[in-house]
Amino acid sequence: MWSRLGSRLRSWEGLLLGLVVAVIAVNALQTPFYLRLSNQINLFTLSIEKIIVALIMALIIINAEIDLSVASVMGLAACVVAYLHAQGVPVALGVLAGLAVGALAGAFNGYWIAYVGLPSLAVTLAGLIGYRGAARILIEDRSIGGFPDWFNRLGQEPLVGPFPVSLVLFFLLLALMLVVLHRSAFGRYVYAIGNSRDVARYSGVNVNRVKMTLFVASGFISALAGILLAARLGSVRGNTAEGFELDIITMVLLGGVSIFGGSGSLIGVALAILLILNLRNGMSLVNITGNTQTGVIGVLLILSVLGPNWARSLQERLQRSRRQTGGPGDGATRGAVPK
Amino acid sequence: MTWIRRRFRPEQIRELSLLLLILAAVLFFGSQIDNYYSARTFNRISTSVAILVVVAVGQTLVVLTRNIDLSVGSIVGFTAYFVGAILAQHNGMAPWAAVLLAIGMGMVMGVVNGLIIAYGRVPAIITTLGTLAIYRTILVDLSNAQTIITASLPQWVLELPRTNLFSLAGLDLRLMVGLALLVVLVFQLVLSYLPFGRLLYAIGSNPEAAQFAGLPVRRTVFLAYVLCGALAGLAGFMFLARFGNITVVAGQGMELQVVAAVVVGGVNIFGGSGSMLGALLGTVLIATLEQSLLRWAQISEFWRDAILGLLILLAIATDAVILERLRAIWARTGIRVAEE
Amino acid sequence: MNRLWKVLSLLLIAVFLLTACAAPAPPAAAPAEEAAPAAEEAAPAASEGAMEEGVDMVLLPKFLGILVFDQAHQGAQEAHEEIGNPGKLEFLGPTPENSVQGQIEIVTTAATQGMDAIMISNNAGDQIVPAAKAAKEAGMTVVTWDSPIPSAEGEDFFVAQVDFDETGKVMADMALDILGEDGGKLAILSASPDAANQNAWNAAFQDVLANDPKYANLELVDLVYGNDQSEDSYNQALALVDKYPDLELIMAPTTVGIAAAAKAMQDEGLCDKVKVSGLGLPAEMVSYTLNGCAPEFALWSFKDLGYLTYYVTYLLATGQIEAKEGQTFEAGRMGSYTIEKDPTRDSGLRVLMGPFTVYTAENVEEAAK
Repeated sequence: MWSRLGSRLRSWEGLLLGLVVAVIAVNALQTPFYLRLSNQINLFTLSIEKIIVALIMALIIINAEIDLSVASVMGLAACVVAYLHAQGVPVALGVLAGLAVGALAGAFNGYWIAYVGLPSLAVTLAGLIGYRGAARILIEDRSIGGFPDWFNRLGQEPLVGPFPVSLVLFFLLLALMLVVLHRSAFGRYVYAIGNSRDVARYSGVNVNRVKMTLFVASGFISALAGILLAARLGSVRGNTAEGFELDIITMVLLGGVSIFGGSGSLIGVALAILLILNLRNGMSLVNITGNTQTGVIGVLLILSVLGPNWARSLQERLQRSRRQTGGPGDGATRGAVPK
Repeated sequence: MTWIRRRFRPEQIRELSLLLLILAAVLFFGSQIDNYYSARTFNRISTSVAILVVVAVGQTLVVLTRNIDLSVGSIVGFTAYFVGAILAQHNGMAPWAAVLLAIGMGMVMGVVNGLIIAYGRVPAIITTLGTLAIYRTILVDLSNAQTIITASLPQWVLELPRTNLFSLAGLDLRLMVGLALLVVLVFQLVLSYLPFGRLLYAIGSNPEAAQFAGLPVRRTVFLAYVLCGALAGLAGFMFLARFGNITVVAGQGMELQVVAAVVVGGVNIFGGSGSMLGALLGTVLIATLEQSLLRWAQISEFWRDAILGLLILLAIATDAVILERLRAIWARTGIRVAEE
Repeated sequence: MNRLWKVLSLLLIAVFLLTACAAPAPPAAAPAEEAAPAAEEAAPAASEGAMEEGVDMVLLPKFLGILVFDQAHQGAQEAHEEIGNPGKLEFLGPTPENSVQGQIEIVTTAATQGMDAIMISNNAGDQIVPAAKAAKEAGMTVVTWDSPIPSAEGEDFFVAQVDFDETGKVMADMALDILGEDGGKLAILSASPDAANQNAWNAAFQDVLANDPKYANLELVDLVYGNDQSEDSYNQALALVDKYPDLELIMAPTTVGIAAAAKAMQDEGLCDKVKVSGLGLPAEMVSYTLNGCAPEFALWSFKDLGYLTYYVTYLLATGQIEAKEGQTFEAGRMGSYTIEKDPTRDSGLRVLMGPFTVYTAENVEEAAK
């Protein structure tokens, strides 16, 4: 059972890898600008905040929860930094305050989800509206910029070799998360709870604490991403990061993480990120923009699951017809509602 | 009191707790806003509920089976736009034909969703996240950035939102509101009395068990999506009639509003429990909050969303606490507590 | 099993190749993108510059799917063909829900692609500054139109449709016209709190109401936002009427907002009491103007704006003019213009197009055709 699951996961990642390679090849053939180092860095930088948040979102979804409020927390943290800056508070302090507000927002979500037992979809949907509203209270109809140079450089200039600091941060975070999720007791708890909350509880896992930790981390990392976004754009408005949540969730789901929890890996998510970013970049370079881009990503999302499913049922049918056994086979009894 | 306990399960009178919440909201805003208790307020809230609740009914069908449909906003926009475009070309089209066209258009999109989810075995959230983008892309690409404008629509469409079923001392029951209530009623009856309704609950409570029991899981899930699409199509038509000016962003973000209404209405997001009445009350509660906050003069434009988010959370939490209490009372008096 | 996987991967890859290759041009792109080099002679200005390869230009709207931006695109195409620029004119835009990020991405990508000029209707406020600066450093000409970069950093100049301060006065005049000498209460229904040009117009409107004694009887009671969505704007308009029972006018400086507000007043039978005015498209407003719901509104020609923007951007990119105060130039059918200091921003240059056309029952039908 486990080995079958394992091989299936491996195939999923194999499929993603194949697609990434294909997209890179097509891009490289289509346009000479694609392979330039500056474009390769831009490709990450333009979406760096989303992919940072996608990492923690993966853990949350594996844990069978969801956090729809991430984009609003990103906006809120950025607005806290900007608001305090406009009040004359040093930006360094503002950044700390922004991070703290993010962690608090996450803890607030976590409290209702872990300790009161409300569904995370409902709580974070309220959060999506509420935290965005809080950001709006701080900023109103203003646009606040004029941050000190060091802050702008943080987001806009290469600080580590040719790489901006946010990119380095992403890879560090990816490494950290890989270890936490796949090599630590905490990671095993995350999977266990995602598979079955009750089983995990009976086997002595402190379910509430794991969930709380995840949501605080989600708030904190979203805040960090929001502040990096403020630094990259050099100014903050009330709608900063609005609507990012669906993109982020798309990346995680394309990475093979089950929406019902308990399965998926960060390698898959990383590959899905690579796939989406390269695909978007390639399309932009041949002037396919706007809705067509989102549409293609939508088709990709569906086909990436539909294709393997078709292949499997085709194979089952082939085997069945070869064996000539008539009865209701395995394919018919497997859940129509995918697990 | 005991007869209540004997006759009902806690889940069934949770609608009562929603009703109490709505009442509390109305009382509160009544003390804050001048002229709040007026026919006008009723008309405003009821008309803003009408479109949303039709979509919420469809969403409930799907959510009951432990699935979700995030593409409804795009379906509403798509049908509103293209039915509008067709009506603008053929002003003489019969009203019933236009409505059927809208329902049919929505149904086709529902069929696509349903095929991929039920027969292609692709998780609902992945499928509908995808079709959310795909339907909107088709809309934008085919529209050539034209806007559907009121002047190009036939007169009967423009008069539709103004038509009353009856009017009592300024208290109007608009045709569209009546239609929406009819949809709620019909589907509540379907849920309660038809085998299809019971199938939805059975599948949502435990998809694997339903499968092993030989229930037609795929067909049922498929049908739920087709109906959800059809209802979103109907809502698209109502959207067209109400707002008249349809741009390519019509209905954008409606999916989250609808999911919020359904969840607040006590429909379990993990399937298996909930009712159309709940979905209606959830929609009414959210619309009441939204419309009242818009009219609360003390609240600045910039504070509205923060308060709305907090109130929604409060509603969900209160509802959960009340339900918990009810369960405790039922348990204490030794009457069987319904499992989820 | 393994073979099937391989077949499947190949299949998927094929799908991508198809999608990537089959649609290299955006659907809205010009049919006559590649004007023949022979047409160059017909162009009045291009003959002197050695512009054999042409100037590749991007026209960037706030987002796709809005009529006025398509009209601007038509104007730009007209100028493109008239000048006979052998380069490309690309009309690229983001989706509405991803407008800010999408605009930044398109500006960055245009620089990578080595495009020569970009014309931005900025929806990102100052957030676009780093990307615009980078594009300029990469040698691009960066011109804004319709909505400028508030700090003017990263842009060469702004092609202003009308004077932003004058917009406030035009709105005040229309309000005075509708409400009469004895005035009354009015409210603004704007797009979103983050729309820089809307905010500038609202500020100018509030300023002129507060300071000019002529408008002393006009009482502005509220400012609300409809986010350029029909449904939000419709609900906001009705809420305004409920909140202020003696409201007499809703001023909506957005084409989506004004149409939605007029429809709301019409549906509720309030047109006799509450009038609607602001900035609107004649085609969308004609019925409301004729039935008295929106007796008077104003706008400028987006087609002309696109034409002028293309023209002046081309001249700048080919080095025929400089982005400096006092520079004059001829813009084809639209005549002569001068680059001037932008008085409505702290810094920056602008080309002022103008004027407003005010539409009433007399001229709206003609314009709506």
